[in-house]
Amino acid sequence: MGGEKIMKNYISGLSTIEKIEKLLLLAVFVVLVVVPHVSGTATITMVSRIMIFAVYAMAYDILRGYIGVIHLGFALFIGGGAYFVGIMISQFGVSLPVLLMAVVGTAIYSAIWALIVGRISGKSGLLATAMITMAFAEIMRSLMTVWRTVTQGEDGLTFRVPSPFDNRMFMFYASLAFMILMAFVLYKFTKSPTGRVWQAVRENEQRAIFLGYDTNRARTIALLVASIVGGLAGVMFGLLNRFVNTDLLGMQMTYNAMLYSLLGGSGTLFGAILGSGVVVLFQNLLLDLRGVHFIFERWLLFFGGLYIVVVMFMPRGIMGFYYDWKEKMAYKKRVKDGEKV
Amino acid sequence: MANILTLLFNGISEGALYFLMAASLSVILGLMGVVNFAHGTLFLWGAYVFRMVFIFTGSFILGIIAAAAAGFVLGIIFEKAFISRVYGNIGAQIMITLGLQIVFTELVRVFWGPTALVVARPEFLEGVSHIALGDIGTVIISHYRLFLIIVGVLIAIGGHLLLTKTRVGMTIRAGVQNSEMVGALGININLYFTLVFAVGGALAGFGGALFAPLSGSINPDSGNMFQLMAFIVVVVGGMGSFMGSALGSLFMAVMVALIGWTLPDISLVAPVALMALILIFKPQGLFRWAVKK
Amino acid sequence: MSLLKVSNLVSYIGLFTILHGVDMEIKQGEAVAILGRNGAGKTTFLRSVMGLVKTRSGSMVFDGNPLVGKPPHKVSRMGIGYCPEDYGVFDHLTIEENLNLAVHKKNAATAERMDYILDLFPDLKKAHKRNAHTLSGGQRQMLSVGRSLVNDPKIILIDEPSKGLAPVVIEKMALALKEISKKSTILLVEQNFHMATIVTDRYYIIDEGRTVHTGMMKDLENDKELQQQHLGL
Repeated sequence: MGGEKIMKNYISGLSTIEKIEKLLLLAVFVVLVVVPHVSGTATITMVSRIMIFAVYAMAYDILRGYIGVIHLGFALFIGGGAYFVGIMISQFGVSLPVLLMAVVGTAIYSAIWALIVGRISGKSGLLATAMITMAFAEIMRSLMTVWRTVTQGEDGLTFRVPSPFDNRMFMFYASLAFMILMAFVLYKFTKSPTGRVWQAVRENEQRAIFLGYDTNRARTIALLVASIVGGLAGVMFGLLNRFVNTDLLGMQMTYNAMLYSLLGGSGTLFGAILGSGVVVLFQNLLLDLRGVHFIFERWLLFFGGLYIVVVMFMPRGIMGFYYDWKEKMAYKKRVKDGEKV
Repeated sequence: MANILTLLFNGISEGALYFLMAASLSVILGLMGVVNFAHGTLFLWGAYVFRMVFIFTGSFILGIIAAAAAGFVLGIIFEKAFISRVYGNIGAQIMITLGLQIVFTELVRVFWGPTALVVARPEFLEGVSHIALGDIGTVIISHYRLFLIIVGVLIAIGGHLLLTKTRVGMTIRAGVQNSEMVGALGININLYFTLVFAVGGALAGFGGALFAPLSGSINPDSGNMFQLMAFIVVVVGGMGSFMGSALGSLFMAVMVALIGWTLPDISLVAPVALMALILIFKPQGLFRWAVKK
Repeated sequence: MSLLKVSNLVSYIGLFTILHGVDMEIKQGEAVAILGRNGAGKTTFLRSVMGLVKTRSGSMVFDGNPLVGKPPHKVSRMGIGYCPEDYGVFDHLTIEENLNLAVHKKNAATAERMDYILDLFPDLKKAHKRNAHTLSGGQRQMLSVGRSLVNDPKIILIDEPSKGLAPVVIEKMALALKEISKKSTILLVEQNFHMATIVTDRYYIIDEGRTVHTGMMKDLENDKELQQQHLGL
């Protein structure tokens, strides 16, 4: 009986902007739930892809945005997860237990990379980490190319997926649930004591050490969390595509994660969801413009340009802009209220 | 036995190209604290500009000069318009050079197409010599590869003299240790930043130009492998060390040649694994002593 | 007329404002100490003058010209010598190269100037061709101070020359600085009160990014209470 009252109190306690925010979020959720019932397969798949990429980019944001590690081999995880699914299923059969094994395998694989990178970044710093992680992804890619008997090399591996993951509709809701769950888990991490250490390390590692934090441990945890979640996104991506090739381990996949999280807003976590949506939609738009002028076929030109513009002129991304605007509004309101009194 | 010697010779000639990339990358890193992730792109532009001018004029030398000039100009643009705006912010530097890499690689596709293009070797460097070494057998010496080794050695000596014997070199060496103090002594260090970046770009472009006739064909991904090898060499040789990158290049070239001969499938895995081990156990590099006189 | 006049200087590093309002006026020929606790902003003040730290507001006028916003190399060429806290000596260059690097414009007076510096610090004369990384801490400090003098600057800024040095070496350094102060204007940041009393005549105290007190060194020497209050001595 009190529920309604609590709800009312809750709503009246919110400011106008907060009310709009909540409504918007609800609207997005409703739209997402309805989408598969009103649109074609292409759209369903695209939105599923956006949601899986969003998780991949949020995981990346834990590194770049929270602890300040620049991981240039993040494709290791989306590609690795997808390859695990593809290889396990094509080797051991199309069944749910095999899929489960692929998930466990991905987690272990991701954790191993996280520990190696953690060791190196603790010893050699940001630049060396960036360089070596780029090289790591490149060797995984070359291994998958060379291991032709199992991976079909550059041609890529096509495979079937066990029911119910072979259903587009199911896959869509699974992706939605996956995104919400991972967003929640990662959010909890950032708000935990460990998450606070992450930000202390990003701001000033020397000071964090001085304050008695074990910064190497914090970094390794961040790498573990981000890598494993990234790997799981890879599993989902593999299930969605039912195909995996070496491009998934290429630099472009890492750039994707970077641009999504950067454009959405580095260090804002949910910004990555926004970034993923904006960039994928933008890409589709440009692809539609191919007929207008051949330059639009060179999608990467725009991708790279967008990238540079974001780094130089909006380092805090879309969410950063929004937060600044909100702050300004709140300030204006305070000033106005002050004048009345 | 002779086969191994031929293989080593070939490997070392490619080491000369690693060196052109790695030396410039390393000095830029030492002086400005910037890892230029667009270095492979400068290499790529060098290769394509070389091919264009070489075909147009028929002159190998002009092609090489044009390639180096292209690298020089792009280096200035990269530094002045982009990288200089984010000095001190390592994250933004990495991101921005990556962005430049994406855009300028894509521009190569726009201008010259996405497929591989054929490049001929200049006539006067074509051909091979067979050198009989008694019982050992016959070693095959490609003239073009010999030319690469000579060029690499000359650049190494020239660069070393420039860095140790001239005032400009002295300023750069001082800047590698403490660029802020160089500024506080009344030297416009920003000018040196641009200069070093431009010369680094020229060396990368030069390397690309030399690479094109060696491989016989170029494509928009040609720079990636050399950038990766240059990274590995920089780490092996000690970041910021010019002579370290010369020794590192030689070392890696020999290593890659030997592994390529015995275990070709892991020819990339082994260098990267070595890089990882060095970063974990000896982050200052294997040849860091080279910089200290 | 004042050589260096600083009014209400506010400087920041990244997100942090370090100086909240420094006022200072130094006349030609003076030797002035900047005293204060660790972390009070003394080093940041010298770095602000050099253009190594960004200034948010306030003004600095040197010899009639504004300093704010000038890059370090221009500040240096206006006639300001600088010895940073960590000496700023280049390890892989010889002593000779370290000194030569600082020469703005080689002219007839340069050689004479070098002789003056080497006479001031005989240690440097002996090790002229040696790489700087072979030098001891005291010798590095001598090189740093010597190097700041090569262009006959109008003022030299010295950041804690006594730091990490043995008492004997501090004594030696103090006497050398006293000698230099006969010819040059000196602005000295110092924690070592003894050294400050030998070298300088006047002082400013900076606390929490503001100048809080100024006076004659002689008076401070005799005023234990003031010492206690500002320096925690």
